[in-house]
Amino acid sequence: MAIITISRGSYSMGVIVAERVAEQLGYSVISRDLLLDASDRFKIPEIKLVRAIHDAPTMLERFRHSKQSYLAYIRAALADRVSNDNVVYHGLAGHVLLKDIRGVLKVRITADIGYRAAREAKRENITEQEARSILEKDDQQRRGWTKNIHGVDPWDSSLYDLVIRIDRFKVDDAVNFICQAAKSEAFHTTEQSIQQIKDMALACRIKAEIIDDFPTLGITCQYGNVIVYTKDKSHGSKLQKQLDEIRKNISGIYNLEIHSGSSFPPDAV
Amino acid sequence: MEPLTTDMILVMGMIGLAVFLFVVEWVRVDVVAILMMVALPLLHLVTPKEAFVGMSSNAVISIIAVIIIGAGLDRTGIINKLVKPVMALAGKSASRIIIAISLTVAFISSFMQNIGAAALFLPAIQRISKMQKIPLSRLLMPVGFSAILGGTITLVGCSPLILLNDLLAPFNLEPFGLFDVTPIGLALVASGIACFILFGRFMLPKGDDTEGRHEDQSVDHDLAFSDLGEMYELITPDDFTLYRDPVTVLDLRQRYLCNVLAMTEPPDFKTVSPAPETIVHSGIEIVVHGKKEDVSRMAAAEGMQIKDTLETYKFDLDSSKSGIVEAVVAPRSSLIGKSLPEVNFQDRFRVSPMSIYRQEETYRTRMRDIRIQAGDVIRLFGTWKRLKTLQQEGGLLFSIPTDMEYMRPEKAIWAGIWLVTALVMIMGFNIQLSVSLMTGALGMVITRVLSVDEAYQSVDWRTIFLLAGLIPLGIATEKTGTAAWIAQSVLSLIGPVSPIVLLSVIGVLSTLFTLVISNVGATVLLVPLVVNMAIAAHADPRMAALVVGLATSNSFVLPTHQVNALYMGPGRYRTFDFLKAGSLVSVVFLVVMMAMLSLIYGI
Repeated sequence: MAIITISRGSYSMGVIVAERVAEQLGYSVISRDLLLDASDRFKIPEIKLVRAIHDAPTMLERFRHSKQSYLAYIRAALADRVSNDNVVYHGLAGHVLLKDIRGVLKVRITADIGYRAAREAKRENITEQEARSILEKDDQQRRGWTKNIHGVDPWDSSLYDLVIRIDRFKVDDAVNFICQAAKSEAFHTTEQSIQQIKDMALACRIKAEIIDDFPTLGITCQYGNVIVYTKDKSHGSKLQKQLDEIRKNISGIYNLEIHSGSSFPPDAV
Repeated sequence: MEPLTTDMILVMGMIGLAVFLFVVEWVRVDVVAILMMVALPLLHLVTPKEAFVGMSSNAVISIIAVIIIGAGLDRTGIINKLVKPVMALAGKSASRIIIAISLTVAFISSFMQNIGAAALFLPAIQRISKMQKIPLSRLLMPVGFSAILGGTITLVGCSPLILLNDLLAPFNLEPFGLFDVTPIGLALVASGIACFILFGRFMLPKGDDTEGRHEDQSVDHDLAFSDLGEMYELITPDDFTLYRDPVTVLDLRQRYLCNVLAMTEPPDFKTVSPAPETIVHSGIEIVVHGKKEDVSRMAAAEGMQIKDTLETYKFDLDSSKSGIVEAVVAPRSSLIGKSLPEVNFQDRFRVSPMSIYRQEETYRTRMRDIRIQAGDVIRLFGTWKRLKTLQQEGGLLFSIPTDMEYMRPEKAIWAGIWLVTALVMIMGFNIQLSVSLMTGALGMVITRVLSVDEAYQSVDWRTIFLLAGLIPLGIATEKTGTAAWIAQSVLSLIGPVSPIVLLSVIGVLSTLFTLVISNVGATVLLVPLVVNMAIAAHADPRMAALVVGLATSNSFVLPTHQVNALYMGPGRYRTFDFLKAGSLVSVVFLVVMMAMLSLIYGI
C-alpha cells in the first residue's frame, strides 16, 4: 500500500504521470476531488479551500488562523482516504501533509522553466515571456505558501524520495521509475505503517473538529491514545468539554490526555 | 517635603522594573536580583561596596546556616522519630491528627526554612494518610499552611523576619530579639489550625476516598492507588512472537497503557520491573498494571489470557516486598528539566514509572516526551529495596514502609545538640544571630551529621541571591530619599490616620505584594517605605516594619509560595481550592496579627 504523492512545480506533466502510475499499479487517483470531499464533510465552500491551498495567507488570515482550519479539514480528508486505499495523490502539498508516514513514496516532477514556459505559452496562446512570468509568479506563491504554513521549502530535495526532470525523461520512463520504486521494500506496507496512518487520520479528524475554537493545538495519536498539546500553562474546562464531545462522536479513541504548557513534538498534527 | 530628584526617579524606575520582571517571569527571580546588584552601582545609586553588602549581611549568612542545619536534621531521620510519639498522642480522630501534625510542622518550621519543613514531612504525611485512611487532601493544606505560619514564630523562621533587623539598621532602630514575635506567631498558628478544624468542610475540596481500600480484593496487594487500575497476571499465547515484529514492554505500554511490572524470560527467569526494551516472549507469564478496560483490550488484541489472581508472581509481588508509591519531585531536585529516559529510572534504579500527575492532569501516554517539573507527582512501582535506593538519591519525596526508612539515629543526638547550642548562644549569651547559627551549622559538619559537600549542596542559591540582590535596592531606596518621598506622598494623599489604621493598611499591602513579588521582594521594598511613613505619621516605625515582616508570610490565596506549590500536586488541589481556603485564612491572619500587636505592643 505505498501511497505516492506527486508534487508538481506547476504545469509539469505531473497529472499525466500520476494517472499513468495509478493505472499501471491499479491504484486510485486523488487530487481535486479531495477538496470536494473536505468541502462536503465540513460544509465549507470549495472555493475557499482552493484559495487556502493555492495562495499564501494574507496578514489578516494569518491572524485569524482561518487557513489553518481549512488545511486541517483537507488534511483530515486526505488522511482518511489514504488509510483506506492504495492511492496516488497528486498536487496540493501531499509531501508535506503526509511527511511523517513511513511507506509513502514522495515524488517530485519538475522541469526546466524554459520548457514549462514553452508548453504553457502554447496552451494558453500567449507569448513565452508572458508564460514565463506567470509561472514564476505562481512558483513563488506556492513556495511561499508551503514555507509559511508548513515551515518547509518545497524546492528542498531532501523532502522527496525521487525527483524526476520531465523535460529530460520521457513520461513512460518516469512512470516506470516510480512504479519500480513503489515495489521496493522500503515502501512495503507494514503493520506499523498501517497503524501510523490510522493514527494520523484520527489526529487530523480531531484537529479538524476542534480547530475553529482552539486554533493553536498540537495533536498526536499513537495506537488510539491521543494527546492534545497546548502551549498555555493550563487549559480551561471548555477545551475539556469539547474534547469529551468529540470523543463520543469519533470512534477509535482509547485514551485522551491534555498536556498543557509543553511544546509540540515534531510529529504533532 | 523633599523635591523629586533624578536619583529618586531612577530608583523608582528600578523598583518598577524589578516588580515587572517578577510578575512576567521572563527571567528567574534571582536573575532579576543580580540585575539589581549590578545596575544600581552602575547608575551610581549605591556604591559598589553597598551593592554587594547583601552577600555578607546577617540575613544571608543566617539563612545559609538555617538551611544547613535543616539539611542536617533531615539526614538524621529525626523527623520520623517525631511522627510516632505525635501520632500516639493524637489517637485516631482525624481532627486531632490534623492538629497534632500541624503543630509539629509549625514547630519545626519555626527554626527551619518553611519549604524544608514541608518537604521533610511530606512522606510522613503520605504514610499517615494511608494508615489512618484520611484523604491526603484533608491533611496537606492545613499542614502546608501551618508550615508557613510556623515561620512567624521566631525571628529565624522565615526569610522576611531574618531580614528585618538588617533592614532596620540604617534607621538606627532597636533590633528585634529571637522570640519577640513568638506570641504573635503562636496565635497565628493556632488561628490557622482552628480555621481548618472548624471550617475544614467548606474550605477543603470534597476529599474523594480514592485512597480507600477496595472491598473485594481480587489481588493481595496494597490497592491505595486503585484509580489507575490494578494488577493482573496474564499468559502470552504460544504464537505471540510468530510472524510479527518483536513486541517490547514499551510497546505494550504505548499501545494499551498497561505497565508491565513483572515478566518471565524463558524458560523461567522472573524479572521485576523489566526494562522498556525487553522483548515479550511467547507462552510466558506477565504481570501488568492498568485499568480493566485497557487490560481487556490488550488481552483481546494480543491473544493473552487473563488469570483470576496472581499465581506465579503472588509471592514475588507481595505487598511486603514491593508496591506503588507517589513520589513528589522536590523543588531543587536534579531531575527537573529532564525527561524520563534521561533520568533512566529503569537502568539506574530498576523501578517502573507508571504515570505523572501535574496540574490536575494525569499523564499516562508518551511519558518519554515529558520534561519533569518541580511539584510533579510520579507514580512508581518497584521493590521496596529499590525504592529505598531511589529515595536515598534525593530529589523525590515519598514514603516507604517504616522498617525500610533511611536513618542515621546516632547522628540525631549530635544534630539536636548543635541546634540547642545555637539557640542557647542566641538567647543566653546574646550572640549575633548569624554567628550563633553558623556555629550550629559548623558543628553539624564537624560531627559528621552531614558532610561539608552535602552542606554546600543543600544551600539554595536562588534564595541567597534573591536576598543579596534586593538588599541594595532597599538601600538605594532609603539613601536617595525615595522611600521618604513616596511615604510623604502617600500620607499627604490619604491624610492623617490613626496608627492602627495605618498598620492595617500596611498589612494588607504586604499581603498583596507578597503574592506577586515573593516575600523577600515585598519585605525589602516595603520596609524602608513603611518606616518612613510611620515616622512621618507619628506611629511606631518598628511596629510598621514588624507588620511587613509578618504579613509577607500571608501568602495563602494563590499557590505561589513554595510550600503551596509543593503540596498542590500530591494533594490534587486546584488553584480555586487555594482561593477558597486561602482567602479565609488570609483575613483571619490579618485580624489576629493586628489584635496581637495591639495587645502586646499596645499600638
